[in-house]
Amino acid sequence: MAILKKKTKVSDEIPSSSMADIAFLLLIFFLVTTVFPKDQGLQIVLPEAQEEVEVSQRNILHINVGTDGLVRYRRGDSENEFTVRPPEMEDIWRMEVAQNENLIAGVRTHPEAQHRYMVQVLDALQMAGAQRISLQMGEG
Amino acid sequence: MPLRNGGFERKSKASDQIPSSSLADIAFLLLIFFMVTTVFRQERERPIEWPSAEATEQIDENRQNIMYIWVEQDGGIFINDQPVSMDQVSSLVAPAWIESQRRLRISLRADARAPYRFIDGVMEEIKAGGAIYVVFATDLERRMARERR
Repeated sequence: MAILKKKTKVSDEIPSSSMADIAFLLLIFFLVTTVFPKDQGLQIVLPEAQEEVEVSQRNILHINVGTDGLVRYRRGDSENEFTVRPPEMEDIWRMEVAQNENLIAGVRTHPEAQHRYMVQVLDALQMAGAQRISLQMGEG
Repeated sequence: MPLRNGGFERKSKASDQIPSSSLADIAFLLLIFFMVTTVFRQERERPIEWPSAEATEQIDENRQNIMYIWVEQDGGIFINDQPVSMDQVSSLVAPAWIESQRRLRISLRADARAPYRFIDGVMEEIKAGGAIYVVFATDLERRMARERR
């Protein structure tokens, strides 16, 4: 009886030299498909319903945003109105709040004004550290 | 036998090759990191022009507690890839607000060119739905870019 001997020399181990290649392939796939979430912006807190409070005109800075992107602002107890560009509001707010720390920013935007103009004003106010900001829509 | 190197022979047996056996481990570690941190996008982005702001900050809230409301230039409103009308917004915000246990952040992704009346309308709807935290989604603007403007 002939002896049946296994002649094959095939290794019975999983080849580990290609493991790195497989891992890197998967790695590159995930690197390419990953989308980092873009959850950022300017945060504000809206007033809750029935939370309306009377504010003395003395403590309001009226900020009107027009369709031309310019800002007209005046103090509540004053008749003088000034026209500035949105980025200038940052220094103005710092100056005004230094005189009256209870100041509230009443931002009134024209219905047809572009959203970006309101964002620019809000940006300037937040850069100046304004906390109390009220957003309203002006009359058309 | 003449002495090589003046009798000083290298004794170190350290291999001068980079060990390639641990390469797979490194790769898998990176792979698992990316697998864990990957968040698949649930909704498609609307083509809007992002407003930019210097005071832009990250929303420190879980993704599940962020609701995205898209406002296009012509006033079209989209929530979860669905076009909705203005008066439907509050009925979508209200259940999400309750479900999030009053933590819901509304990310208002409005086109920079959209007239403000649409933004105001959406904000009134958000208020009616009970939510109070609103984030105007913006791109971070660097001071350099601003000075050029």
